[in-house]
Amino acid sequence: MTSRLFYDLVALVIFALVIVLGVPAIMGFDGFELNTFARYLALAIVSLALALSWGGAGLLNLGQAATFGMGSYAMAMHLKLKASGDGLPDFMGWNNVPELPLLWVPFQSLAFTLLAGLMIPAFVGGLIAIFMFRARIAGVFVAIITLAFLVAFQLVVIEQQGITGGQNGLTGLAPLSLPGWTVDTYGVGFYYLVAGCLMVAITLGIFITHSKFGLILKAIREDADRTRFFGYNVANYQTVIFCISAALAGWAGMLYTLVLEFASPTYMSVSFSLAIVIWCAVGGRESVLAAAIGAILVNMLEGRLSDVFVEGWNLILGVIFVLVVMFMPRGLHGLIGSGWQIITGKAGKPGMRPVDTGAAALPAKSAQER
Amino acid sequence: MDAILNQIFAGLSMASILLMIALGLAIIYGAMGVINLAHGEFVMLGAYAAWAIQTYTGMSIIMALPFVFVAVALVGWLIEKIIVQRLYHRPLDTILATWGIGIILQQTVRLLVGAESRFVKGPEFLSGNTQIGGLIMSNYRLFVIFFSLAVLAGTWALMTRTEFGMKLRAVIQNRQISECYGIEAKNIYSVTFAYGAGLAGIAGALITPLFSTIPTMGTGLVVDAFLVVIVGGLGSILGAASAAVLIGEATALFSMLFNDTLGRIAVLAGIIVLIRFRPRGLFPSNTRR
Amino acid sequence: MKRRDFLGGVSAAGVASALSAPALLTVAGRAAAQGNDIPVGLLFSLTGAVAVVESTLHDAALMAIEEINAAGGVHGMQLRPIIEDPASDPATYADRARRLMIRDKCVSVFGSYTSASRQAVLPVTEQRNNLYWYPTLYEGRECSRNVMYGGAVPNQQQDELIPWAIENFGPRFYMIGNNYVYPKEENNYCKTLLAKYGGEVVHEEYVPLGHSDFSSVINRIRAEGPNVIFATVVGDSDVAFARQYHAAELDPAKMPVISLTRSEVEVKAIGGDAAAGHFSSAPYFMGTQTPENERFVESYKARFGGDQVTHFVSEAAYFQVYQFKAALEKLDPANITPELIRDAAVGITLNAPQGEVLIDENLHTHLWPKIGQWQSNGQAEVVVQSSNRVAPLPYAAYEGQRCTGQGLVEG
Repeated sequence: MTSRLFYDLVALVIFALVIVLGVPAIMGFDGFELNTFARYLALAIVSLALALSWGGAGLLNLGQAATFGMGSYAMAMHLKLKASGDGLPDFMGWNNVPELPLLWVPFQSLAFTLLAGLMIPAFVGGLIAIFMFRARIAGVFVAIITLAFLVAFQLVVIEQQGITGGQNGLTGLAPLSLPGWTVDTYGVGFYYLVAGCLMVAITLGIFITHSKFGLILKAIREDADRTRFFGYNVANYQTVIFCISAALAGWAGMLYTLVLEFASPTYMSVSFSLAIVIWCAVGGRESVLAAAIGAILVNMLEGRLSDVFVEGWNLILGVIFVLVVMFMPRGLHGLIGSGWQIITGKAGKPGMRPVDTGAAALPAKSAQER
Repeated sequence: MDAILNQIFAGLSMASILLMIALGLAIIYGAMGVINLAHGEFVMLGAYAAWAIQTYTGMSIIMALPFVFVAVALVGWLIEKIIVQRLYHRPLDTILATWGIGIILQQTVRLLVGAESRFVKGPEFLSGNTQIGGLIMSNYRLFVIFFSLAVLAGTWALMTRTEFGMKLRAVIQNRQISECYGIEAKNIYSVTFAYGAGLAGIAGALITPLFSTIPTMGTGLVVDAFLVVIVGGLGSILGAASAAVLIGEATALFSMLFNDTLGRIAVLAGIIVLIRFRPRGLFPSNTRR
Repeated sequence: MKRRDFLGGVSAAGVASALSAPALLTVAGRAAAQGNDIPVGLLFSLTGAVAVVESTLHDAALMAIEEINAAGGVHGMQLRPIIEDPASDPATYADRARRLMIRDKCVSVFGSYTSASRQAVLPVTEQRNNLYWYPTLYEGRECSRNVMYGGAVPNQQQDELIPWAIENFGPRFYMIGNNYVYPKEENNYCKTLLAKYGGEVVHEEYVPLGHSDFSSVINRIRAEGPNVIFATVVGDSDVAFARQYHAAELDPAKMPVISLTRSEVEVKAIGGDAAAGHFSSAPYFMGTQTPENERFVESYKARFGGDQVTHFVSEAAYFQVYQFKAALEKLDPANITPELIRDAAVGITLNAPQGEVLIDENLHTHLWPKIGQWQSNGQAEVVVQSSNRVAPLPYAAYEGQRCTGQGLVEG
């Protein structure tokens, strides 16, 4: 075990203790507060999913919300069917849909739903990845293609009202019923379910980052061409991490539907997708744990600000984002890292790279110089 | 036949509006690689500036255009000096910073002017239609088409026929060497950013008689404008113009064949495929960046 | 520090407490139901795309609360408004509704404009058996026992409108709406009426919410040459549509836009010239001549500015607070729960600005439909005034389903 992996795992254990014991204790095991916090934890998963592809491999996916939405809708379709009993979901009647669309039928099964919530996003993410990375698309073009995909996908979901519920999304859902346990979204049990999912996701993320696979991704991020010359199939590595990231986003989406008890096409909006990027940037894109903490902190801050400043909370949030980007380019993670360097006096420790110059981000440069 | 002609005109009209919005973005992105997500908010500022000038001085929006340009350019200049200038070495981070700037501008306008939709009167002398056979063209839309062409020509002349344009092209080619020759790259960037913002402001003022003026009006525009820039090719002004026409006409065609939603989806799909096979756009400029 | 002053007093201490980490974790300002006031939630977007309309609803509801408080409150208790800004985002609506209903223990929440936001609030409202006062016209086909519907449902807007439009302009209808459930449902109902009165649909189309370029639509309208444009376009899409329709010089006398959604707010942004000659169907217009309306308009302008307008949704947001008050007055002050408020509210009549309104046992409202023609001064002239109050039938388009005091009844 390398020392950096060791530090990450220690940090994870501390984080887990805070989330599992500290938060519920401070909240007084209160249903409303736990439900709110469970929402933050679900969002933390999608933030860390982005960190895997963005921080880990330099692929800024602005379409993360699309895969998040797929997971969310998968779960919502299952719960909607449960709520409708033997009949058709109500909104289908509004749209003059005569019988259950084929797409919906398998979602009767919980096992299929859970699997689909992970596999459909992974599959779609994989398709986009193959489409892009085989052509050596990188940098800002990845951002634009995924963004265009997101906008188109959201339009399709809204357009297909008979299947998706359109603008209103899927509402009027039944509570999730696992074998022997009907989930109460305000209960401590549900909180621990979401917290458990987050821990598993972070652990997975940490091991990916520190594996050989993660190391090769890092090499690709720094210089895709050189990695290619070493004989690695860059596109395959990028595709795999894209799939993993998409599956995690889908997982987060499923949990999010459980917390809020509905699925909405706004989960696939550009602004939500950019919000994910911002959480990830605030926490620190190079560490999955930091990205998760970033999501939790920004959402807590938003909740708190909107409580205190009804009129101005959006404005304050905007100012904070700008300040973070300007003065904390590597997020809280980078800030702590450099603080640690100052304390130990070990400036220039290997691995503490200077600020990302964005060279990887704008490959237009290398593409044009070729 | 008439239906097709009218639809071609509709496409041109959409293209001219897209071009007005995208031109400023193309210049900013082309010159310094800044992905300016606050561009939509510059458009919004332009619309509000036109509203304010018309409401408080009674000036027609056409007369107000120079003032709108200066006002929004000034805002752009300040933003560049205070924030964007520090981020030139981190282009991807400009996405985040300018998104934040967008929120700030939007919320500031909302707090100062209010959330309600504002009314801006279109110019009297441009009301009505010009009819050629079955082709019916709104005079105002015609005006916007010609105005956007004039702005395009003006920008092209600025880039290629003036000393400023020459310096800018030098900085785009190689910042270090240009600086050795005594070009103040920093100032060139500031002025360019301000110019791009000012163009967005004019676009905002021009669309007010057709659209609804609210604080969030820019959010939807920026994605479209950005697609135009990418399709057109990095920093290519003529590329942006052709891309605007292409996207405007494609949208009009698809919405005639299907409907506006499917039209938009089809155009987005087309753009994705286009970027995949021509990542440098339709008209890649030959500059080294 | 006092939570949520109306202007969100930006004190340095506030910033400090909001930003310091421990403050983020503490559950400050928990509002327990105190003996001497009644917490009510206001859940209208003050930011984002929907704020254009919702901020006026917020103002109207808040004004009603202040008026009631100034007049001594209810049973000597003040109404305590707790304001949240859901920022036009359904997920935020759901979150803020939880705050109001669970944490702040509001006995009722007034809020929202769009169907999507109402649907986002429903789960927590029903689960916690709270009461949501929804002032907006909507598509019907809902029969929650936890929502007080203050706006019109399709039968209240269309029953008189459609035969009148066919008679005056002709039978060929062009349907244009935004792409979501409200326009689709209104059009479904309109089609049943058209079949009954011998009208026809020449084209039906939907544009995305927020759509702002209507040149293709206008070309198609020109090509089809319908008698009536039946519009369910909302918000800034409607503003853009109306302005471009006017710029294309389509004549309202030959081809009027008859809208179910256009109100004084939109007309103000469209401009009187572009709106003039077209029609809207609504239970209330700003120019309605009743003593209650004169008072309402006068105090609204005095409170929020002389250039402000009232409209059919803000009127409902206003009178619903008074319905809430009337229900509270029937209750024992020691025992106020959302459920009791709901039961007490059924059957209440009230002189609203539009006329006397009644809460049906299905929790929808009996209203006074009107057809107004827009004038160049931005006001509507009522051309048809319903002779009687119309009962709400949220399932009017669907045979065999009725919304009653026991919820939805089949058969």
